[in-house]
Amino acid sequence: MTDRAIIVDRAYQPYEGERRSTSWIMWAIVVDGFRKVFGIRRKFTRKLLPWGVIGMMSMILAGVVIPAWFIGDQLGDLPLPENAEYFDIISLLPELFIALAAPALLVPDRRQGTLAIYLSRPINRAQYLLAKVGALFVLMMFVWLAPQAILFTSLASLDGGGFFAYFADNANVLLAILGTALVYFVLHASLGLFFAATVPRSGFAAGSYLGTLLIANLLTSSIVEDDTGGERWLGLFAFEQHPRVIRDWFFDVQTQDYVPTVAGFEPWVSLATVGAIAAISAIAIWVQYRRLP
Amino acid sequence: MAAPALRVLQLTHDYGSVRSLADVSFDAPPGKIGLVGANGAGKSTLIKLSLGLLDPTSGSIEVMGADPGARTRVGYMPEASALPLDQKAADFVTYTAQLAGLPSRDARRRASETLYLVGLDEERFRFIGDFSTGMQQRVKLAQAIVHDPQLVFLDEPTAGLDPEGRESMLGLIRRLGDFGTSVVFSTHIITDIERTCDWVVLLDGGTLLRSSPLEELGSHGVVRLELHDHSEEVTRLLRARGADVKVEGDVLHIRSFDEIYSAIQSSVAQAGAGIHLLEEANVTLEEAFFVPSSEPPPLPGSRP
Repeated sequence: MTDRAIIVDRAYQPYEGERRSTSWIMWAIVVDGFRKVFGIRRKFTRKLLPWGVIGMMSMILAGVVIPAWFIGDQLGDLPLPENAEYFDIISLLPELFIALAAPALLVPDRRQGTLAIYLSRPINRAQYLLAKVGALFVLMMFVWLAPQAILFTSLASLDGGGFFAYFADNANVLLAILGTALVYFVLHASLGLFFAATVPRSGFAAGSYLGTLLIANLLTSSIVEDDTGGERWLGLFAFEQHPRVIRDWFFDVQTQDYVPTVAGFEPWVSLATVGAIAAISAIAIWVQYRRLP
Repeated sequence: MAAPALRVLQLTHDYGSVRSLADVSFDAPPGKIGLVGANGAGKSTLIKLSLGLLDPTSGSIEVMGADPGARTRVGYMPEASALPLDQKAADFVTYTAQLAGLPSRDARRRASETLYLVGLDEERFRFIGDFSTGMQQRVKLAQAIVHDPQLVFLDEPTAGLDPEGRESMLGLIRRLGDFGTSVVFSTHIITDIERTCDWVVLLDGGTLLRSSPLEELGSHGVVRLELHDHSEEVTRLLRARGADVKVEGDVLHIRSFDEIYSAIQSSVAQAGAGIHLLEEANVTLEEAFFVPSSEPPPLPGSRP
């Protein structure tokens, strides 16, 4: 035991610990993106909308799967929708989720001025944007794939031929689900992030994204149906319908007559259009962020 | 010899057709560097160029011997409000530490320590939006130093603070030097620089007026001589020996030259005058601000 008192000054301590690589920093941005989107460690009001959308999606899934599990035999053989159909059943909710998530990822950093601080750290603009896209990718893959995985498992469980036989017979469906989810992501994330990068407020960015999808659908439907001749190229502007056309192509089904199909375009044209939209959007976002902060 | 904290070589930057910095060159050593200039002088532009947030139109810049794009050990406290008001101080500072590569656990620990250091220990779990301006400035300072940078850029850190908050912020900035952290402190309040820094860079309208140690700027070149009597005769004799003398009553300000003290001794003896005080006169930073570095510093009281 010492006979002297010691005064400990916490003051400032130099940091001599580990400093991780850029990929770790990008992962930190991805994780922060999840928190931003779901309002974690934020005030309660920031949590309402994202969790509300997730709640609605869960309720729809539960409404489809739970009755089939418990009273499926009374509803007839395989009362569950097929995986291809399910993309349509929940289609609006993932779009709503992107309308919330994309602005939440990009707008506050610009609007609050924190982007200057973040970019003063050892990451550059491209890495910052890539991490934001990564955060949206992980979130949206979860939103599209988790319900599909539960549905597929339910279909396999309820199949008269047996669980593993269903899996073996429908392995191609899993690939189609994955491919379709990717195409949905590329189209909707491109548009959502474009508006999030170029519109100054989150609410306006969300409204611009949803409004563009809605107006493009309405206009192209009426124009293309009136005249599929000279105006057929307008069918390419039915943004929201391209992933559906590609979904039908991947699953080898025809759920509806979508505008691009009515306008006479092959599914690969829809795929190329989605790619073009992604490229244009990426260029526009990059041009915008090169000027910031 | 240690690399300069900032090495700027013929640096020019244009915002469209507006030239914000024109052919600026200087070396500033590690330490507390004051960046002084009126609004629009190019201080914030120089800081953003140093951080790689802007690209120079021409010329080059090195920060602690490295390219600005490296940004491995620099911190930045922006002038504008740059805080997420919907986040808690601890969460925000932790996140900025992670963005400097610190592992999560270390980042959280450092955030707590740094917020304690800036006086926000009790408040660190409150939302930043509920903070006063002074507390928000402290959060901005905390995020700038949380990752233990070698050099930290503070852009107008005392802006918007009341006198007490300003004193406190200046105290924190002075302490940073004791921690071995170099500071580039931008402000248009000259007295803040005089009280805080040991090197000063003066900018005006995008051009460099001066880059020198504060000490040298404040004293060099002028000797103050207070006489009991015969000041007119001493002035005449000094001028006859080629001295540049300004007279204020019995006080003479003499621009330094070789053998100045011999000239003073001879002139005073010849005139039979009595010396009351002889010292190096201090030229204030404010007075020096108006004289380009290519010219000798002004005599006291000669501010335009």
